Amino acid sequence: MFHAERFIEKTISTLQNEIKGKALIAFSGGVDSTVCAALVNKAIGNQLIAVHVDTGYMRKNESEQVKQMMKNLGLNYRYITASKEYYHALKGVENPEKKRKIIGEKFIRIFEQVAQKEHIDSLVQGTIAPDWIESGGGLRDTIKSHHNVGGLPKDMKLHLVEPLRDLYKDEVRKVARALHLQVSERQPFPGPGLAIRIIGEATPERTRLVREACDIVEKEIERASEQGLMERPWQYFAVLIPIKTVGVHGDKRAYGNTIAIRAVQSVDAMTCHYSTIPHEVLDMISTKITNTLKEKVNRIVYDVTNKPPGTVEWE
Amino acid sequence: MVRIYVIDNGGQWTHREWRTLRDLEVETKIVPNTTLLKELQKDDIQGLVLSGGAPRIGLNSLLGNCAEYLDKGKFPILGICAGHQFMARHFGGKVQPSALPEFGQVELTLCVDNDPLFLGVPKKSIVWESHNDEVTILPKNFIKLGESENCYIQAMRHTDKQFYGLQFHPEVEHTQFGEQIFKNFIHLCEE
Repeated sequence: MFHAERFIEKTISTLQNEIKGKALIAFSGGVDSTVCAALVNKAIGNQLIAVHVDTGYMRKNESEQVKQMMKNLGLNYRYITASKEYYHALKGVENPEKKRKIIGEKFIRIFEQVAQKEHIDSLVQGTIAPDWIESGGGLRDTIKSHHNVGGLPKDMKLHLVEPLRDLYKDEVRKVARALHLQVSERQPFPGPGLAIRIIGEATPERTRLVREACDIVEKEIERASEQGLMERPWQYFAVLIPIKTVGVHGDKRAYGNTIAIRAVQSVDAMTCHYSTIPHEVLDMISTKITNTLKEKVNRIVYDVTNKPPGTVEWE
Repeated sequence: MVRIYVIDNGGQWTHREWRTLRDLEVETKIVPNTTLLKELQKDDIQGLVLSGGAPRIGLNSLLGNCAEYLDKGKFPILGICAGHQFMARHFGGKVQPSALPEFGQVELTLCVDNDPLFLGVPKKSIVWESHNDEVTILPKNFIKLGESENCYIQAMRHTDKQFYGLQFHPEVEHTQFGEQIFKNFIHLCEE
Protein backbone atom coordinates (compact mmCIF):
# COMPACT_ATOMS: atom_id res chain seq x y z
CA MET A 1 0.00 0.00 0.00
CA PHE A 2 0.92 3.65 -0.30
CA HIS A 3 2.07 5.09 3.03
CA ALA A 4 1.73 8.86 3.16
CA GLU A 5 3.97 9.31 6.22
CA ARG A 6 6.77 7.23 4.71
CA PHE A 7 6.40 9.11 1.44
CA ILE A 8 6.64 12.49 3.18
CA GLU A 9 9.76 11.51 5.11
CA LYS A 10 11.52 10.07 2.07
CA THR A 11 10.55 12.95 -0.21
CA ILE A 12 11.77 15.67 2.15
CA SER A 13 15.20 14.08 2.41
CA THR A 14 15.39 13.55 -1.38
CA LEU A 15 14.41 17.20 -1.95
CA GLN A 16 17.09 18.44 0.45
CA ASN A 17 19.69 16.66 -1.68
CA GLU A 18 18.16 17.54 -5.02
CA ILE A 19 17.57 21.28 -4.65
CA LYS A 20 20.64 23.45 -4.54
CA GLY A 21 19.91 27.04 -3.57
CA LYS A 22 16.54 28.63 -4.22
CA ALA A 23 13.58 27.05 -5.96
CA LEU A 24 10.40 28.33 -7.52
CA ILE A 25 7.11 26.46 -7.38
CA ALA A 26 4.34 26.85 -9.92
CA PHE A 27 1.45 27.34 -7.50
CA SER A 28 -2.11 26.99 -8.78
CA GLY A 29 -3.67 26.43 -5.38
CA GLY A 30 -4.83 22.92 -6.24
CA VAL A 31 -4.07 19.79 -4.21
CA ASP A 32 -0.98 18.81 -6.22
CA SER A 33 0.87 22.11 -6.14
CA THR A 34 -0.11 22.80 -2.52
CA VAL A 35 1.18 19.40 -1.36
CA CYS A 36 4.33 19.99 -3.36
CA ALA A 37 4.82 23.44 -1.86
CA ALA A 38 4.33 22.10 1.65
CA LEU A 39 6.88 19.34 1.09
CA VAL A 40 9.48 21.60 -0.49
CA ASN A 41 8.88 24.19 2.20
CA LYS A 42 9.65 21.58 4.82
CA ALA A 43 12.81 20.66 2.92
CA ILE A 44 14.29 24.09 2.14
CA GLY A 45 12.15 26.60 4.07
CA ASN A 46 11.85 30.11 2.67
CA GLN A 47 14.38 29.35 -0.04
CA LEU A 48 11.19 28.31 -1.84
CA ILE A 49 9.28 30.96 -3.73
CA ALA A 50 5.70 30.20 -4.72
CA VAL A 51 4.52 31.87 -7.92
CA HIS A 52 0.85 32.09 -8.79
CA VAL A 53 -0.12 33.35 -12.21
CA ASP A 54 -3.58 34.75 -12.83
CA THR A 55 -3.92 33.67 -16.45
CA GLY A 56 -7.34 35.20 -16.93
CA TYR A 57 -8.65 31.65 -17.22
CA MET A 58 -9.15 31.05 -13.51
CA ARG A 59 -12.56 30.50 -11.96
CA LYS A 60 -14.58 33.17 -10.18
CA ASN A 61 -12.47 34.86 -7.44
CA GLU A 62 -10.05 31.92 -7.60
CA SER A 63 -6.77 33.81 -7.86
CA GLU A 64 -7.68 36.03 -4.91
CA GLN A 65 -8.40 32.93 -2.84
CA VAL A 66 -5.12 31.38 -3.93
CA LYS A 67 -3.28 34.50 -2.80
CA GLN A 68 -4.91 34.15 0.62
CA MET A 69 -3.95 30.47 0.69
CA MET A 70 -0.31 31.29 0.02
CA LYS A 71 -0.40 33.77 2.89
CA ASN A 72 -2.07 31.27 5.20
CA LEU A 73 0.48 28.61 4.37
CA GLY A 74 3.24 31.05 5.24
CA LEU A 75 4.78 30.77 1.78
CA ASN A 76 7.21 33.26 0.37
CA TYR A 77 5.08 34.12 -2.67
CA ARG A 78 4.82 36.21 -5.84
CA TYR A 79 1.47 36.94 -7.47
CA ILE A 80 1.49 37.70 -11.17
CA THR A 81 -1.39 39.05 -13.22
CA ALA A 82 -0.99 38.07 -16.85
CA SER A 83 -4.52 37.77 -18.24
CA LYS A 84 -3.95 40.29 -21.04
CA GLU A 85 -0.89 38.39 -22.25
CA TYR A 86 -2.72 35.08 -22.19
CA TYR A 87 -5.77 36.40 -24.04
CA HIS A 88 -3.46 37.91 -26.62
CA ALA A 89 -1.46 34.69 -27.06
CA LEU A 90 -4.64 32.65 -27.53
CA LYS A 91 -6.27 35.01 -29.97
CA GLY A 92 -7.59 33.06 -32.94
CA VAL A 93 -6.38 29.71 -31.54
CA GLU A 94 -8.96 26.91 -31.75
CA ASN A 95 -6.92 23.72 -31.69
CA PRO A 96 -6.89 22.26 -28.14
CA GLU A 97 -3.32 21.01 -28.40
CA LYS A 98 -2.15 24.44 -29.56
CA LYS A 99 -3.97 26.09 -26.67
CA ARG A 100 -2.32 23.76 -24.20
CA LYS A 101 1.14 24.30 -25.65
CA ILE A 102 0.84 28.09 -25.79
CA ILE A 103 -0.35 28.17 -22.18
CA GLY A 104 2.42 25.78 -21.09
CA GLU A 105 5.09 27.88 -22.75
CA LYS A 106 3.69 31.12 -21.34
CA PHE A 107 3.85 29.74 -17.80
CA ILE A 108 7.50 28.81 -18.27
CA ARG A 109 8.44 32.21 -19.74
CA ILE A 110 6.90 33.92 -16.70
CA PHE A 111 8.69 31.54 -14.31
CA GLU A 112 11.97 32.12 -16.18
CA GLN A 113 11.64 35.87 -15.68
CA VAL A 114 11.10 35.44 -11.95
CA ALA A 115 13.92 32.90 -11.79
CA GLN A 116 16.35 35.19 -13.56
CA LYS A 117 15.53 38.14 -11.37
CA GLU A 118 15.81 36.15 -8.16
CA HIS A 119 18.66 33.79 -9.14
CA ILE A 120 16.69 30.56 -9.05
CA ASP A 121 17.71 27.36 -10.87
CA SER A 122 15.00 24.87 -9.95
CA LEU A 123 11.35 24.77 -10.95
CA VAL A 124 9.12 22.62 -8.75
CA GLN A 125 5.90 21.35 -10.32
CA GLY A 126 3.09 19.27 -8.86
CA THR A 127 3.12 16.91 -11.84
CA ILE A 128 1.31 13.62 -11.09
CA ALA A 129 1.13 10.32 -12.96
CA PRO A 130 -1.81 11.04 -15.30
CA ASP A 131 -0.07 14.24 -16.50
CA TRP A 132 2.93 12.45 -18.00
CA ILE A 133 0.99 9.33 -18.97
CA GLU A 134 -1.52 11.30 -21.06
CA SER A 135 1.15 13.62 -22.45
CA GLY A 136 2.63 10.56 -24.17
CA GLY A 137 6.09 10.11 -25.60
CA GLY A 138 8.02 7.05 -26.76
CA LEU A 139 5.59 4.21 -27.23
CA ARG A 140 2.77 6.02 -25.48
CA ASP A 141 0.28 7.94 -27.56
CA THR A 142 -0.39 11.60 -26.74
CA ILE A 143 -3.95 11.85 -25.44
CA LYS A 144 -3.49 15.49 -24.47
CA SER A 145 -0.39 17.58 -23.76
CA HIS A 146 -0.63 18.54 -20.11
CA HIS A 147 0.74 22.07 -19.83
CA ASN A 148 3.32 21.00 -17.22
CA VAL A 149 4.71 18.10 -19.28
CA GLY A 150 3.87 18.02 -22.98
CA GLY A 151 3.42 21.81 -22.98
CA LEU A 152 6.93 22.63 -21.71
CA PRO A 153 9.07 24.48 -24.25
CA LYS A 154 12.06 22.46 -25.48
CA ASP A 155 14.57 25.21 -24.68
CA MET A 156 13.65 25.44 -21.01
CA LYS A 157 16.75 25.71 -18.83
CA LEU A 158 15.24 25.48 -15.35
CA HIS A 159 15.98 22.25 -13.50
CA LEU A 160 12.67 20.41 -13.03
CA VAL A 161 11.78 18.95 -9.65
CA GLU A 162 8.62 16.82 -9.60
CA PRO A 163 8.28 14.90 -6.33
CA LEU A 164 4.73 13.64 -7.03
CA ARG A 165 5.38 12.08 -10.47
CA ASP A 166 4.47 8.55 -9.44
CA LEU A 167 1.34 9.49 -7.50
CA TYR A 168 -2.31 9.57 -8.48
CA LYS A 169 -4.76 12.10 -7.09
CA ASP A 170 -6.09 9.80 -4.35
CA GLU A 171 -2.54 9.30 -3.10
CA VAL A 172 -1.79 13.05 -3.23
CA ARG A 173 -4.93 13.58 -1.15
CA LYS A 174 -3.61 11.09 1.41
CA VAL A 175 -0.39 13.09 1.64
CA ALA A 176 -2.39 16.33 1.92
CA ARG A 177 -4.40 14.88 4.81
CA ALA A 178 -1.26 13.68 6.56
CA LEU A 179 0.12 17.22 6.22
CA HIS A 180 -3.19 18.64 7.54
CA LEU A 181 -3.69 20.76 4.43
CA GLN A 182 -7.19 22.15 4.06
CA VAL A 183 -7.00 21.80 0.32
CA SER A 184 -6.99 17.98 0.50
CA GLU A 185 -10.53 17.46 -0.84
CA ARG A 186 -10.59 20.26 -3.42
CA GLN A 187 -11.80 19.21 -6.86
CA PRO A 188 -9.18 19.09 -9.65
CA PHE A 189 -8.86 22.08 -11.95
CA PRO A 190 -6.65 21.89 -15.04
CA GLY A 191 -3.63 24.19 -15.40
CA PRO A 192 -4.85 25.69 -18.71
CA GLY A 193 -7.99 26.57 -16.78
CA LEU A 194 -11.17 27.73 -18.44
CA ALA A 195 -9.36 28.02 -21.79
CA ILE A 196 -9.92 24.30 -22.32
CA ARG A 197 -13.53 24.50 -21.16
CA ILE A 198 -14.29 26.67 -24.16
CA ILE A 199 -14.50 24.76 -27.40
CA GLY A 200 -12.89 26.93 -30.07
CA GLU A 201 -11.32 30.32 -29.45
CA ALA A 202 -11.00 31.23 -25.76
CA THR A 203 -11.93 34.91 -25.98
CA PRO A 204 -12.41 37.07 -22.86
CA GLU A 205 -16.16 37.20 -23.52
CA ARG A 206 -16.49 33.42 -23.85
CA THR A 207 -14.35 33.07 -20.73
CA ARG A 208 -16.81 35.26 -18.87
CA LEU A 209 -19.67 32.97 -19.95
CA VAL A 210 -18.01 29.70 -19.00
CA ARG A 211 -16.75 31.19 -15.71
CA GLU A 212 -20.28 32.13 -14.74
CA ALA A 213 -21.63 28.73 -15.82
CA CYS A 214 -18.88 26.86 -13.92
CA ASP A 215 -19.68 28.86 -10.82
CA ILE A 216 -23.37 27.94 -11.04
CA VAL A 217 -22.62 24.23 -11.64
CA GLU A 218 -20.20 24.15 -8.70
CA LYS A 219 -22.52 25.93 -6.30
CA GLU A 220 -25.63 23.93 -7.19
CA ILE A 221 -23.86 20.58 -7.10
CA GLU A 222 -22.18 21.41 -3.79
CA ARG A 223 -25.51 22.47 -2.35
CA ALA A 224 -27.20 19.28 -3.58
CA SER A 225 -24.39 17.14 -2.14
CA GLU A 226 -24.60 18.87 1.22
CA GLN A 227 -28.36 18.27 1.25
CA GLY A 228 -27.75 14.59 0.58
CA LEU A 229 -29.46 14.67 -2.83
CA MET A 230 -26.39 13.22 -4.53
CA GLU A 231 -22.84 12.07 -3.90
CA ARG A 232 -20.35 14.88 -4.41
CA PRO A 233 -18.68 14.16 -7.75
CA TRP A 234 -14.93 13.93 -8.17
CA GLN A 235 -15.00 16.83 -10.61
CA TYR A 236 -17.90 19.00 -11.84
CA PHE A 237 -18.00 21.95 -14.19
CA ALA A 238 -19.47 23.53 -17.32
CA VAL A 239 -18.18 23.54 -20.88
CA LEU A 240 -19.03 26.25 -23.41
CA ILE A 241 -19.90 24.87 -26.82
CA PRO A 242 -20.13 27.79 -29.20
CA ILE A 243 -22.81 26.13 -31.32
CA LYS A 244 -25.88 28.24 -31.63
CA THR A 245 -29.39 26.91 -31.42
CA VAL A 246 -32.77 28.54 -31.59
CA GLY A 247 -34.73 29.44 -28.50
CA VAL A 248 -37.47 31.76 -27.35
CA HIS A 249 -36.94 34.50 -24.77
CA GLY A 250 -39.94 36.61 -23.77
CA ASP A 251 -41.83 35.99 -27.02
CA LYS A 252 -38.73 36.86 -29.04
CA ARG A 253 -36.49 34.59 -31.01
CA ALA A 254 -33.21 33.72 -29.27
CA TYR A 255 -30.13 32.29 -30.98
CA GLY A 256 -27.44 31.56 -28.39
CA ASN A 257 -24.64 29.22 -27.35
CA THR A 258 -24.78 25.84 -25.64
CA ILE A 259 -23.42 24.86 -22.24
CA ALA A 260 -22.66 21.26 -21.29
CA ILE A 261 -22.80 20.07 -17.69
CA ARG A 262 -19.98 17.64 -16.90
CA ALA A 263 -19.58 15.74 -13.64
CA VAL A 264 -17.62 12.52 -13.08
CA GLN A 265 -16.79 9.99 -10.39
CA SER A 266 -13.23 8.78 -10.24
CA VAL A 267 -10.42 7.84 -7.89
CA ASP A 268 -7.38 8.44 -10.03
CA ALA A 269 -8.63 10.19 -13.20
CA MET A 270 -7.54 7.22 -15.31
CA THR A 271 -11.07 5.83 -15.56
CA CYS A 272 -14.17 7.84 -14.81
CA HIS A 273 -17.88 7.21 -14.69
CA TYR A 274 -20.16 10.13 -15.40
CA SER A 275 -22.01 11.22 -12.25
CA THR A 276 -25.71 10.74 -11.86
CA ILE A 277 -27.12 14.17 -11.12
CA PRO A 278 -30.77 14.14 -9.97
CA HIS A 279 -33.16 15.80 -12.43
CA GLU A 280 -34.21 18.43 -9.91
CA VAL A 281 -30.58 19.54 -9.61
CA LEU A 282 -30.10 19.54 -13.39
CA ASP A 283 -33.27 21.59 -13.61
CA MET A 284 -31.97 24.18 -11.18
CA ILE A 285 -28.61 24.43 -12.96
CA SER A 286 -30.25 24.69 -16.37
CA THR A 287 -32.59 27.50 -15.35
CA LYS A 288 -29.94 29.43 -13.46
CA ILE A 289 -27.43 29.33 -16.30
CA THR A 290 -29.87 30.34 -19.00
CA ASN A 291 -31.37 33.11 -16.88
CA THR A 292 -27.98 34.44 -15.84
CA LEU A 293 -26.39 34.31 -19.27
CA LYS A 294 -29.54 35.59 -21.00
CA GLU A 295 -29.24 35.97 -24.77
CA LYS A 296 -25.78 34.36 -24.79
CA VAL A 297 -26.88 30.85 -23.78
CA ASN A 298 -30.24 29.24 -24.42
CA ARG A 299 -29.47 25.52 -24.36
CA ILE A 300 -28.04 23.19 -21.71
CA VAL A 301 -26.92 19.60 -22.31
CA TYR A 302 -25.77 16.92 -19.86
CA ASP A 303 -22.65 14.92 -20.71
CA VAL A 304 -23.16 11.18 -20.08
CA THR A 305 -19.79 9.92 -21.35
CA ASN A 306 -17.42 7.73 -19.34
CA LYS A 307 -13.63 7.77 -19.60
CA PRO A 308 -12.84 5.90 -21.79
CA PRO A 309 -14.11 6.70 -24.39
CA GLY A 310 -14.20 10.37 -23.31
CA THR A 311 -11.77 12.24 -21.08
CA VAL A 312 -12.88 14.35 -18.11
CA GLU A 313 -12.27 17.72 -19.75
CA TRP A 314 -13.48 18.19 -23.32
CA GLU A 315 -10.10 19.36 -24.67
CA MET B 1 8.09 -10.73 -1.35
CA VAL B 2 7.23 -11.94 -4.84
CA ARG B 3 8.86 -10.11 -7.76
CA ILE B 4 6.67 -9.35 -10.80
CA TYR B 5 7.66 -6.82 -13.45
CA VAL B 6 5.44 -4.88 -15.83
CA ILE B 7 6.50 -4.77 -19.47
CA ASP B 8 5.62 -1.35 -20.86
CA ASN B 9 4.00 -1.57 -24.26
CA GLY B 10 2.99 2.09 -24.09
CA GLY B 11 -0.39 1.72 -22.41
CA GLN B 12 -2.33 4.45 -20.67
CA TRP B 13 -2.72 2.06 -17.74
CA THR B 14 0.78 0.50 -17.57
CA HIS B 15 1.50 2.57 -14.46
CA ARG B 16 -1.82 1.46 -12.95
CA GLU B 17 -0.65 -2.17 -13.28
CA TRP B 18 2.51 -1.21 -11.44
CA ARG B 19 0.46 0.55 -8.77
CA THR B 20 -1.92 -2.39 -8.29
CA LEU B 21 0.99 -4.79 -7.86
CA ARG B 22 2.76 -2.41 -5.47
CA ASP B 23 -0.43 -1.96 -3.45
CA LEU B 24 -0.56 -5.75 -3.10
CA GLU B 25 2.98 -5.70 -1.65
CA VAL B 26 4.66 -7.09 -4.77
CA GLU B 27 8.21 -6.04 -5.61
CA THR B 28 7.59 -4.49 -8.98
CA LYS B 29 9.08 -2.26 -11.65
CA ILE B 30 8.02 -0.96 -15.06
CA VAL B 31 10.54 -1.95 -17.73
CA PRO B 32 10.59 -1.09 -21.44
CA ASN B 33 9.48 -3.82 -23.82
CA THR B 34 12.93 -3.75 -25.39
CA THR B 35 14.40 -5.31 -22.22
CA LEU B 36 16.15 -8.62 -22.93
CA LEU B 37 14.87 -11.73 -21.20
CA LYS B 38 18.30 -12.35 -19.66
CA GLU B 39 18.09 -8.95 -17.96
CA LEU B 40 14.80 -9.98 -16.40
CA GLN B 41 16.25 -13.35 -15.41
CA LYS B 42 19.16 -11.57 -13.72
CA ASP B 43 16.58 -9.92 -11.44
CA ASP B 44 15.08 -13.33 -10.78
CA ILE B 45 11.52 -12.31 -11.58
CA GLN B 46 8.69 -14.70 -10.73
CA GLY B 47 6.09 -13.33 -13.09
CA LEU B 48 5.48 -10.82 -15.84
CA VAL B 49 2.63 -8.57 -16.91
CA LEU B 50 2.56 -7.54 -20.57
CA SER B 51 0.80 -4.19 -20.60
CA GLY B 52 -1.59 -2.84 -23.18
CA GLY B 53 -0.61 -0.09 -25.57
CA ALA B 54 -1.44 1.91 -28.64
CA PRO B 55 0.20 -0.50 -31.17
CA ARG B 56 -2.47 -2.10 -33.38
CA ILE B 57 -1.90 -5.81 -32.96
CA GLY B 58 -4.81 -6.33 -35.33
CA LEU B 59 -2.76 -4.55 -37.97
CA ASN B 60 0.36 -6.66 -37.36
CA SER B 61 2.32 -4.36 -35.06
CA LEU B 62 5.32 -5.83 -33.26
CA LEU B 63 5.61 -5.57 -29.51
CA GLY B 64 9.29 -5.18 -28.58
CA ASN B 65 10.74 -8.34 -27.08
CA CYS B 66 7.43 -9.80 -25.95
CA ALA B 67 7.91 -12.77 -28.31
CA GLU B 68 11.09 -13.75 -26.48
CA TYR B 69 9.37 -13.68 -23.08
CA LEU B 70 6.60 -15.90 -24.40
CA ASP B 71 9.00 -18.34 -26.09
CA LYS B 72 11.45 -18.74 -23.26
CA GLY B 73 9.77 -17.46 -20.09
CA LYS B 74 9.49 -20.07 -17.35
CA PHE B 75 7.25 -17.94 -15.15
CA PRO B 76 3.56 -16.99 -15.28
CA ILE B 77 2.74 -14.26 -17.81
CA LEU B 78 -0.38 -12.10 -17.82
CA GLY B 79 -1.05 -10.34 -21.12
CA ILE B 80 -3.46 -7.41 -20.93
CA CYS B 81 -5.21 -5.89 -23.96
CA ALA B 82 -2.45 -5.45 -26.58
CA GLY B 83 -0.33 -7.88 -24.50
CA HIS B 84 -3.16 -10.43 -24.65
CA GLN B 85 -3.65 -9.91 -28.38
CA PHE B 86 0.05 -10.29 -29.04
CA MET B 87 0.12 -13.51 -27.00
CA ALA B 88 -2.74 -14.90 -29.08
CA ARG B 89 -1.15 -13.99 -32.39
CA HIS B 90 2.27 -15.25 -31.30
CA PHE B 91 0.90 -18.71 -30.57
CA GLY B 92 -0.98 -18.93 -33.86
CA GLY B 93 -4.32 -17.28 -33.11
CA LYS B 94 -5.84 -14.44 -35.06
CA VAL B 95 -6.24 -10.78 -34.10
CA GLN B 96 -8.40 -8.40 -36.12
CA PRO B 97 -9.92 -4.95 -35.82
CA SER B 98 -13.10 -5.29 -33.75
CA ALA B 99 -16.38 -5.00 -35.59
CA LEU B 100 -17.69 -3.37 -32.41
CA PRO B 101 -14.81 -2.03 -30.32
CA GLU B 102 -15.45 -1.61 -26.60
CA PHE B 103 -14.62 1.47 -24.52
CA GLY B 104 -15.59 1.79 -20.88
CA GLN B 105 -18.01 -0.42 -19.00
CA VAL B 106 -18.82 -3.96 -20.22
CA GLU B 107 -20.25 -7.10 -18.62
CA LEU B 108 -17.84 -10.02 -18.54
CA THR B 109 -19.20 -13.56 -18.51
CA LEU B 110 -16.89 -16.34 -17.40
CA CYS B 111 -17.15 -19.62 -19.35
CA VAL B 112 -15.07 -21.88 -17.07
CA ASP B 113 -15.58 -22.63 -13.38
CA ASN B 114 -12.79 -22.47 -10.84
CA ASP B 115 -9.99 -21.24 -13.04
CA PRO B 116 -7.16 -20.16 -10.70
CA LEU B 117 -7.03 -16.63 -12.20
CA PHE B 118 -10.72 -16.06 -11.58
CA LEU B 119 -11.12 -17.55 -8.10
CA GLY B 120 -13.58 -15.40 -6.18
CA VAL B 121 -14.86 -13.69 -9.34
CA PRO B 122 -18.58 -14.27 -10.04
CA LYS B 123 -19.78 -15.65 -13.37
CA LYS B 124 -20.91 -12.16 -14.40
CA SER B 125 -19.10 -8.97 -13.41
CA ILE B 126 -18.34 -5.44 -14.60
CA VAL B 127 -15.02 -4.86 -16.34
CA TRP B 128 -13.65 -1.83 -18.18
CA GLU B 129 -12.32 -1.93 -21.71
CA SER B 130 -10.47 0.18 -24.23
CA HIS B 131 -9.69 -1.66 -27.44
CA ASN B 132 -9.86 -1.30 -31.20
CA ASP B 133 -8.70 -4.86 -31.99
CA GLU B 134 -9.51 -8.26 -30.53
CA VAL B 135 -8.62 -11.94 -30.67
CA THR B 136 -10.95 -13.55 -33.18
CA ILE B 137 -9.45 -17.06 -33.35
CA LEU B 138 -8.00 -18.72 -30.27
CA PRO B 139 -4.47 -20.12 -30.67
CA LYS B 140 -3.93 -23.87 -30.39
CA ASN B 141 -3.23 -24.96 -26.81
CA PHE B 142 -5.37 -22.15 -25.42
CA ILE B 143 -8.80 -22.32 -23.86
CA LYS B 144 -11.30 -19.54 -23.67
CA LEU B 145 -12.20 -18.35 -20.17
CA GLY B 146 -14.53 -15.42 -20.73
CA GLU B 147 -16.58 -13.40 -23.19
CA SER B 148 -18.73 -10.28 -23.49
CA GLU B 149 -21.67 -9.40 -25.71
CA ASN B 150 -19.51 -7.90 -28.44
CA CYS B 151 -16.18 -9.66 -27.88
CA TYR B 152 -16.01 -13.43 -28.11
CA ILE B 153 -12.63 -13.83 -26.40
CA GLN B 154 -12.28 -11.67 -23.30
CA ALA B 155 -10.00 -14.06 -21.42
CA MET B 156 -7.87 -17.07 -22.36
CA ARG B 157 -5.34 -19.45 -20.82
CA HIS B 158 -2.58 -21.67 -22.17
CA THR B 159 -3.38 -25.31 -21.50
CA ASP B 160 0.12 -26.24 -20.20
CA LYS B 161 1.83 -23.01 -19.20
CA GLN B 162 0.72 -20.32 -16.75
CA PHE B 163 0.09 -17.86 -19.58
CA TYR B 164 -3.08 -15.80 -19.42
CA GLY B 165 -4.52 -13.19 -21.74
CA LEU B 166 -7.21 -10.64 -20.83
CA GLN B 167 -8.85 -8.27 -23.26
CA PHE B 168 -10.31 -6.17 -20.45
CA HIS B 169 -8.33 -4.18 -17.90
CA PRO B 170 -8.16 -5.65 -14.39
CA GLU B 171 -5.81 -2.84 -13.28
CA VAL B 172 -8.31 0.02 -13.43
CA GLU B 173 -10.33 1.17 -10.46
CA HIS B 174 -13.69 0.67 -12.16
CA THR B 175 -13.19 -3.04 -12.95
CA GLN B 176 -15.18 -4.70 -10.19
CA PHE B 177 -12.96 -7.67 -9.36
CA GLY B 178 -9.70 -6.38 -10.85
CA GLU B 179 -7.78 -6.53 -7.62
CA GLN B 180 -8.97 -10.09 -6.98
CA ILE B 181 -7.67 -11.13 -10.40
CA PHE B 182 -4.29 -9.58 -9.61
CA LYS B 183 -4.24 -11.35 -6.22
CA ASN B 184 -4.88 -14.64 -8.00
CA PHE B 185 -2.13 -13.94 -10.52
CA ILE B 186 0.31 -13.08 -7.72
CA HIS B 187 -0.61 -16.35 -6.06
CA LEU B 188 0.23 -18.23 -9.28
CA CYS B 189 3.61 -16.49 -9.40
CA GLU B 190 4.35 -17.44 -5.79
CA GLU B 191 3.79 -21.14 -6.43
